[in-house]
Amino acid sequence: MVSIFKVSMKKIIYSLFALALLFSCSSTQVEKVSQQKTTTVDLTGNQAARGVVSRESVDLGEPYVRIYFDYDKDNLREDMLSDLLAISKLMKENSSYTLLVEGHADERGTREYNLALSERRAKSVEDFLTASGVSPFNIEVVGYGEEKPVNNASNESAWSKNRRAELFFIR
Amino acid sequence: MKKLFLLLISIGNLYADLVLEITQGSEQPVRLALIEIGGSSYEGNEVIEIVRNDLLRTGEFDVLTNDQLLSIPASEEDVIQRDWLLLEADAIVFMNIQQEQGALDIEYSFFDIGYKESIEKRKVLGLPDSVRQTSHYVSDGIYEFFYGIEGVSSTKLMYVAKNSDIYKLIVSDADGFNEQVLLKSNSSIISPAWSADAKDIAYVSFENNRAQVFTQNLETGERELVLSSNASVSSPAWSPDKKFLAFSTTKDGNSEIYLINLKSKELTRLTDNTAIDTEPAWSKDGKNLLFTSDRAGSPQIYQVNIRNKLKRRITTVGSYNARASYLNQDEIVFVHRGESDFNVAKMNLNTRSLDILTSTKFDESPCIAPNGNVIIYSTKDGNLSYLAGVNISSRVKFKLPALYGELKEPAWSPYLR
Repeated sequence: MVSIFKVSMKKIIYSLFALALLFSCSSTQVEKVSQQKTTTVDLTGNQAARGVVSRESVDLGEPYVRIYFDYDKDNLREDMLSDLLAISKLMKENSSYTLLVEGHADERGTREYNLALSERRAKSVEDFLTASGVSPFNIEVVGYGEEKPVNNASNESAWSKNRRAELFFIR
Repeated sequence: MKKLFLLLISIGNLYADLVLEITQGSEQPVRLALIEIGGSSYEGNEVIEIVRNDLLRTGEFDVLTNDQLLSIPASEEDVIQRDWLLLEADAIVFMNIQQEQGALDIEYSFFDIGYKESIEKRKVLGLPDSVRQTSHYVSDGIYEFFYGIEGVSSTKLMYVAKNSDIYKLIVSDADGFNEQVLLKSNSSIISPAWSADAKDIAYVSFENNRAQVFTQNLETGERELVLSSNASVSSPAWSPDKKFLAFSTTKDGNSEIYLINLKSKELTRLTDNTAIDTEPAWSKDGKNLLFTSDRAGSPQIYQVNIRNKLKRRITTVGSYNARASYLNQDEIVFVHRGESDFNVAKMNLNTRSLDILTSTKFDESPCIAPNGNVIIYSTKDGNLSYLAGVNISSRVKFKLPALYGELKEPAWSPYLR
């Protein structure tokens, strides 16, 4: 079978040659090489220097609480509601508190979709808190997609820990 | 002395972050020999080695080595036909390598063993210190001669390398050599994209603690924040005419697709609903965008007409279809989840027939080579991600694991010639 293929391949190649013979003129095709120069931009170590207020420079430490989600879902699980109600109570008692909600996704699926999904998870937390009476001005949300896993492994136990919203009090 | 200096420069360029390995070759490769006219020179050997590796990397060539040959002709006139028929060689590529002011010019011709004559001559004029790129041009010419498809050895790859919490956006030759760092950061970099003229790039950087889209000029390193917002801005894609950037942003509360006119900064909103809409990708004519939306409950591929904003659902099979791009007018490539694995698939827009192209578990970020015939994507083995590729017509598969750290988010350059 392989040898038949080989022969037919050769035929194709010979006919290619024949075609090339028919249509080739005496002149040689000439092309010139082009080259592109590049510049490196190094952001390591100079983020503050560019006048950008960076939250990363302030270590947020461990989150106050973590809210976990199901695969490809952004709705709040029942077992997570008591933690959120406690946060709601705390924020209503201390109206100066500002909460940062970071949404995250597990590694499965595409990065960009996960970024949107993670932000929607953070938004679910925000929506719950505002519905319970917390001022929306005291909540910031951000999505990190699958970029900051707590566990790098590729199994359900790691994924279930990575599908999360992390809540930090930043003021 | 000048020669020695050039030699040192080229050795300096030999460092490669990528190591390519063919995991599945073609069943019927073209068999040929690469021979320098007038005997082998130092420069000639270097050129032949680069071209040989380029051709082997396609998985579609069997390049005979000198010790496999029965006779080594010094020129076309010296070819002993019988020796080559015995080797079942398809052709000999003769190369005439001349050095002009530090630059190599390579003239190459295809010798038809059956007809006993060279039937086509081509020439590549090099620049100083461009032995590798000049040789890649020759490889692409040889590939095109035999397969009728433009080769991609002279194109570039862009990708993100992660090593001990440092992210680097890197551009290298298609074979992984000659790598240059475009951006080095402590924060994640995703979704790099080339402009059609390969002079600028766009990407998402988390350097300010949220997803933001920047454009960057390759030559000057000059960067520009595309849209200032407190919400995420991500998934950039250049229009074919380079006037617009399509992207997604959550500035309206959930992820929507927008166009920005890069000159006037005028925004056009293309989607408007409560679902996730992201991952825009342009059609070649710039009239339509593919995008991912979960408006029907799970992520699926849709198409939107930019002028009238009409949308059409494209994928219906499977619970997860995302990150699509046009392979040609009739076919698209995307990430598809079947039973449990995430694979790269292609689908015909007319017949809706689905073709799964990869077989590892976590395949993502597929990107199509400018010849429309090779797809590079990122996948994962254990805890480390690496790049892998598949040739659509020959089904040759290859891997580009990093020498250290992780590689992800590949983006294949347009043609640079």
